[in-house]
Amino acid sequence: MFKTKFTIVATALLVTNLCGLAVAAQTPINGTVQSRCIIQTDTAGTYANPNAYTLTTSPTDGGELARIRVDVSLANAYYVEITAPTEFSSSPNLPDVVSWTGDTTVDAVSDATNMGDYETNKVEIGMKDRYDMTATGSTWFKTSSVATMGGSKAFPGGNYTSIVEAECIAQ
Amino acid sequence: MKKLISIFVLAAFLISNTASAHEMVPTYPVLKQSYVDGLYVTTMTMFNKRPEVEYYEIGVYDSNWDPIDFVSNYKIWKIPYLSTVSFDIYLRAEDKYKVTYICSRSKLRKSEKSRTAVSSRICSKVKKIGED
Repeated sequence: MFKTKFTIVATALLVTNLCGLAVAAQTPINGTVQSRCIIQTDTAGTYANPNAYTLTTSPTDGGELARIRVDVSLANAYYVEITAPTEFSSSPNLPDVVSWTGDTTVDAVSDATNMGDYETNKVEIGMKDRYDMTATGSTWFKTSSVATMGGSKAFPGGNYTSIVEAECIAQ
Repeated sequence: MKKLISIFVLAAFLISNTASAHEMVPTYPVLKQSYVDGLYVTTMTMFNKRPEVEYYEIGVYDSNWDPIDFVSNYKIWKIPYLSTVSFDIYLRAEDKYKVTYICSRSKLRKSEKSRTAVSSRICSKVKKIGED
């Protein structure tokens, strides 16, 4: 009698466990990873004023370069355009025309094998540098900016801001 | 051991670098017929991880980067730091084959410091009707 009961209970437990296993095996975990481009500002950049008529982000003069990181999760899906400033977005009244120089370079990449040629393959259109993001991963860009006041006139005292534009455009 | 130290250094570097980010998905939005006849709609989602930016402006463009009229709740969205906003963009049926890019651009505040500021812009490319 006891043996029969034991067998029934054991069988029930076994069946329950098997059912449980079967259910567990059939429970899906769904997830979708969307391709995306993320623009991150590592450093906004700071102007130094090494002489009266120059504002520069050059670290040797005490400035700081703008550093931008772009993460892409799908190869050959985006291009990145980074434009160095060509005007101040805010400044005191200026006594003369300001001339601008600036450049963007690849500072670091997360995958040297597949991203190593980003800098050599970039297309420069004036102050705008265009990069084809042919691999997935992170790329760090550095942008420099130098503003020189015409006629060697002094920049008036005040705060100056210019905009580095970083764009990630789906192809 | 060396590998462990490298991982630790990399992790410390990543944690200490408080980068700020701007993100918009999907990369390839699809237009669908909306509940209003003659209007097409797509839904975009933005995430703001830029503490210094609160507002993002939306723009819709054709393949020549000429602006296309659209309707959304706002054209400039307030997206607080570390929050996500999803929004619908409605377009006229006559523009459904012209629309190419949907872009979001960060709006920057005036600063009290002499600096360069980074304006970020992300553009998604609209899949044309009937495209895979």
